[in-house]
Amino acid sequence: MAETKIKKTQRAAPAPKPRLTDVWRVVVLNDPVNRMSYVVMVLRRVFGFAEERARKHMLEIHEKGRSVLWAGTREQAEAYVFALQQWHLTAVAQPDEPA
Amino acid sequence: MSPPDPGRRMKRVEIKLNISAVAPLLDIIKQAADDLRQNLAIRATFPEEDSEFNETWTAELLAGQNSDVRELLGLFGREFFADGTIAIDSNNSDSLLRGCSALRIQILTRWLQGIPADLLEDEDVPPEAIADEVRVPFASYTFLDQVQKIILEHLDPTAAEA
Repeated sequence: MAETKIKKTQRAAPAPKPRLTDVWRVVVLNDPVNRMSYVVMVLRRVFGFAEERARKHMLEIHEKGRSVLWAGTREQAEAYVFALQQWHLTAVAQPDEPA
Repeated sequence: MSPPDPGRRMKRVEIKLNISAVAPLLDIIKQAADDLRQNLAIRATFPEEDSEFNETWTAELLAGQNSDVRELLGLFGREFFADGTIAIDSNNSDSLLRGCSALRIQILTRWLQGIPADLLEDEDVPPEAIADEVRVPFASYTFLDQVQKIILEHLDPTAAEA
């Protein structure tokens, strides 16, 4: 009985569910198919980035495997991820980790 | 002020292709298109664990993907086999770019997993560097890449890669 109680106490608390008010990040991951100029065009189109900024993110994706493109509300992050997936980029929305 | 939308600046481009060279590639492209009818080229990731939300998300992506692939296959209909020409303009360029991307991903997934990444990215690979059994899929993969490259160059001439 006591042992059971200890086990229950030691069990890790479930991770808190992200709230609607949390800051969410839009992350694009590298893929082996899409050419660099395609990725730049998509980032310009989806986020309205200037050429230079889009190219900087594209190089970060290519060299580091991922780049954080945007941070803000969950709803907008979902909209961006959906748009990126329509262009066949590998994109995820992630809640910002607490500091 | 938002930057200019490159997709709206494309003039009509007609590309003359060798019908006998392209025809065998279309067999592979159509097989890849069949694969994609019920499957996304890239598995979607969802921001939440809500099955209904995720099903809707997937269904909308799939509908868009199918529409894009149909647009691309439509370039190679009866008219193409009459004169070997495909026409690209602002009305179809976005769909064609996305369609090429989806089909290239599927061709890679189905046929080209064994080919090293450096060969996949090389635009001047000699045919003998590719195994016989995947030479046509590889040619289809690079053909779609070239179609995409031409569209991108006409959307924004500064986007050409070195």
